[in-house]
Amino acid sequence: MLRFEQVTKIYSGQRVVDCLDLEVKKGEFLVLIGPSGCGKTTTLKMINRLIEPSEGKIYMNGTDISRLDPVQLRRQIGYVIQQVGLFPNMTIQQNVDVVLRLLKRPLQERQERVRELLAMVGMDPALYAERYPNELSGGQQQRIGVLRALAADPPLILMDEPFGALDPITRESLQDEFKRLQEKLHKTIVFVTHDMDEALKLADRIVLMKDGRIVQAGPPEELLRHPANDFVAFFFGKKRKENEIYLETVDEVMNPAPVTIRPEQGVAEGVELMRRRHVDSLFVVDKEERFLGQVTIESLNREHLRAHQIIELLDTNVPTVLAGSKAETAFRIMTEQRLKYVPVVDTEGRLVGLVTRTSMVNALASVVWGDGISA
Amino acid sequence: MVSVLDWGGFIAANFDRLLLATRQHLSIALTAVVLGTSVAVPLGIYLTRREGLARIVLAVTGIIQTIPSLAFFGLTIPFLGLGVLPATLVLFLYSILPILRNTYTGIKEVDPALIEAGKGMGMDSVELLLMVELPIALPLILAGVRISTMYIVSWTTVAAMIGAGGLGTLVLGGIAVYDARLIVLGVVPAATLALLAGRVIIWLEKRLTPRGLLRDGQVA
Repeated sequence: MLRFEQVTKIYSGQRVVDCLDLEVKKGEFLVLIGPSGCGKTTTLKMINRLIEPSEGKIYMNGTDISRLDPVQLRRQIGYVIQQVGLFPNMTIQQNVDVVLRLLKRPLQERQERVRELLAMVGMDPALYAERYPNELSGGQQQRIGVLRALAADPPLILMDEPFGALDPITRESLQDEFKRLQEKLHKTIVFVTHDMDEALKLADRIVLMKDGRIVQAGPPEELLRHPANDFVAFFFGKKRKENEIYLETVDEVMNPAPVTIRPEQGVAEGVELMRRRHVDSLFVVDKEERFLGQVTIESLNREHLRAHQIIELLDTNVPTVLAGSKAETAFRIMTEQRLKYVPVVDTEGRLVGLVTRTSMVNALASVVWGDGISA
Repeated sequence: MVSVLDWGGFIAANFDRLLLATRQHLSIALTAVVLGTSVAVPLGIYLTRREGLARIVLAVTGIIQTIPSLAFFGLTIPFLGLGVLPATLVLFLYSILPILRNTYTGIKEVDPALIEAGKGMGMDSVELLLMVELPIALPLILAGVRISTMYIVSWTTVAAMIGAGGLGTLVLGGIAVYDARLIVLGVVPAATLALLAGRVIIWLEKRLTPRGLLRDGQVA
């Protein structure tokens, strides 16, 4: 799709990009990362010729891009910048369809396309198409920035720290959303960031740059596991250990005292227990502490007029994990089945604890930051 | 003092004169501003593409602006004589600077991120100008036109000194014959016209500024 051959950019005697050789495959999500001044943004901007290389050639689908008309070239490449850069004088419709207008597409097609795109990111077209950028939140604005790059359906999209200016929560949700979008669209993406987490999360392949040169390029896993040198290892910092650390067993991360109730107890007692202990579900155990199932606030709420005893509301279809199994197992069950918790039972079937999302977060935090902060 | 009744009679007696003067006044002022705008806006745009030239041109027009209008009117007499033409010419020159400066600044101040976004989307320089730079600079350009118009409408009064007509003739006449009423009859309509012209352009600014550029309903 894209090939850099010995590309060099010199600014006032300094080689900002130095003899770069790089290939980007079709459908690949390539992340350029490195400390500021490493040449990653310059590299990106040479692709749509906002910056011209001093030496070397860049080929797009085999064609030397310096032979193409830059204006025509850019209309075939999506472009998203950190400052968003939505045109304040245009509505959302006009912002998103700007490339289609440059390509002189008919109004109806443009409107349909914008509706389709807005719907894709869960923004109601009827509500947003005629608004102006200053009427949207920062996160919504960058969503529109991304849609604008997608509007003409270009096969290649360049993104220059697109989520860098957003608050961490918005950033994360946009990353997730964009990742989902990419899984559907299979664009070729060249993405610049200085945020390691972002690179690890999004990239098919990471290209780590320093002083205008590539230090190491490869899938995230490879850079984590086999850093080419100390710089790479240092850049990836503690994250590198993530894959080497042995995750604890469920016993170490579980809450050992979940709130339980007996099947023969009354429904009103159950409600009172939930209120007192601030929980939304109760684990039903028999006299021997054997796990029978659960009762949730939803079923209590639905059935409290009809039912008298807890046993009538018992939900026995609850996945459990065995004590002593790896924490990872519990986490996987929770993630895959979208559960808030998994009860832990011993070989006798007795309830011994509960793995919750909080346990999961704590366990991961201890891996990421070391044990100091986690508890 | 003169009574209201006297005023009524006075205005009635001079009504035709007042009407003619107002018409001349407006025609001179509008011609100057329209010409000024049609030169200043394109020139301002051009200057944003020529940094070095911009500094020189803005300095020169700045100097023109500092010449007292009376002196300037006088200076043109040896070359263009008396009448409407030299008056309009001088006023036209005066009208350029505020519009030129605002056009230049308005376009220069467009957020570089927007320029980069526009270029990156594949706009050529004309498209960038028409779709991004001018619409965003428009409120500032119109503000320049407003300032120019208000100045020119009131300065047109001075143009009477070189025989261009307009409301200034009433003022000069009033001074010549020691008739304060005649002076007032020239000055009040001139001031009113200037204010009215300002209002009209403010209205235009509001109409032409896209909603996305308004802050708290104010023109930027």
